[in-house]
Amino acid sequence: MKETLRLSFRKGDLWAIVLVILLALLTVGLWGRKVVSDTAGTVQIYQNNQCIMEYSLFQDALIPVEGEYHNIIQISGGKVAIVESNCPGEDCVHSGWIKSPGRSLVCLPNKVEVRLVGKEDEVDFIVR
Amino acid sequence: MKKAENVALCGVMISLALVLSYMERLIPLQMVIPLPGIKLGLANIVTLVSLYFLGSKQAWAILLIRCILGAVFGGGISGLLFSVGGSILALTVMSAAKKVSCFSIFGVSILGAAAHNIGQIFMAVILMKSIYISGYLPYLLVIALFTGFATGSAAAGILRVLIKMPMGIKIKESN
Repeated sequence: MKETLRLSFRKGDLWAIVLVILLALLTVGLWGRKVVSDTAGTVQIYQNNQCIMEYSLFQDALIPVEGEYHNIIQISGGKVAIVESNCPGEDCVHSGWIKSPGRSLVCLPNKVEVRLVGKEDEVDFIVR
Repeated sequence: MKKAENVALCGVMISLALVLSYMERLIPLQMVIPLPGIKLGLANIVTLVSLYFLGSKQAWAILLIRCILGAVFGGGISGLLFSVGGSILALTVMSAAKKVSCFSIFGVSILGAAAHNIGQIFMAVILMKSIYISGYLPYLLVIALFTGFATGSAAAGILRVLIKMPMGIKIKESN
């Protein structure tokens, strides 16, 4: 029995690309509106799925978060970032500064999530 | 292929995948595109090559052992859950897509990359109980088009060489 492999780009692959683009658009449509609302005002810090701290986005602060690892969160000039972390990879630090509502910074190793929410809490739904 | 050859090849593939996913961490892709979970998916080249060259049974074995060893060597248990979620969905989709005759390895790889991101975000939403993280999915999917294409072409190049090797393998490339 001889098996043949399709190793060169085919026209049919365009369907795969179209499918992925459609999925991307679909997810924007589904969540884009719900998650992104008006101006952000509050920084919520979650650890192990619990909101452990809440800060105003417009009051500069330096917040250490302990856990399995060690994060330092900085709020400065209406933006927030995880500026220091000793987790492997440091994806959270590389994520940079965020300022729009609905955006979040995540440090998976430390189970920390920094969420930006609107002036009033705009959470539509949380998956349980 | 003899059983010993098979086992040896699987071992080589597992170590290759581990080295590639380690090397990937040294490439600071986050600096350029700041999204959590973004990566080139170099280890997916190994999954693709194993799927095409060794078969789906071996590809599954290689993938699962790689995930477990990856956790032992530094990913930790939460890293394991994320990589398992992404990888299982990716390989499920890829082995299904491989059977569809309109897709070449490029289509299979792109769908696999997208599935990996969906699986990872799904795990993140469950583990962190936050739907917010899914807001990243559209961006990750668009990037998956490019990373999927790149890993697909890398795997195609490797396979073209591999199938010409005198290892008693009865596989050839179709036009």
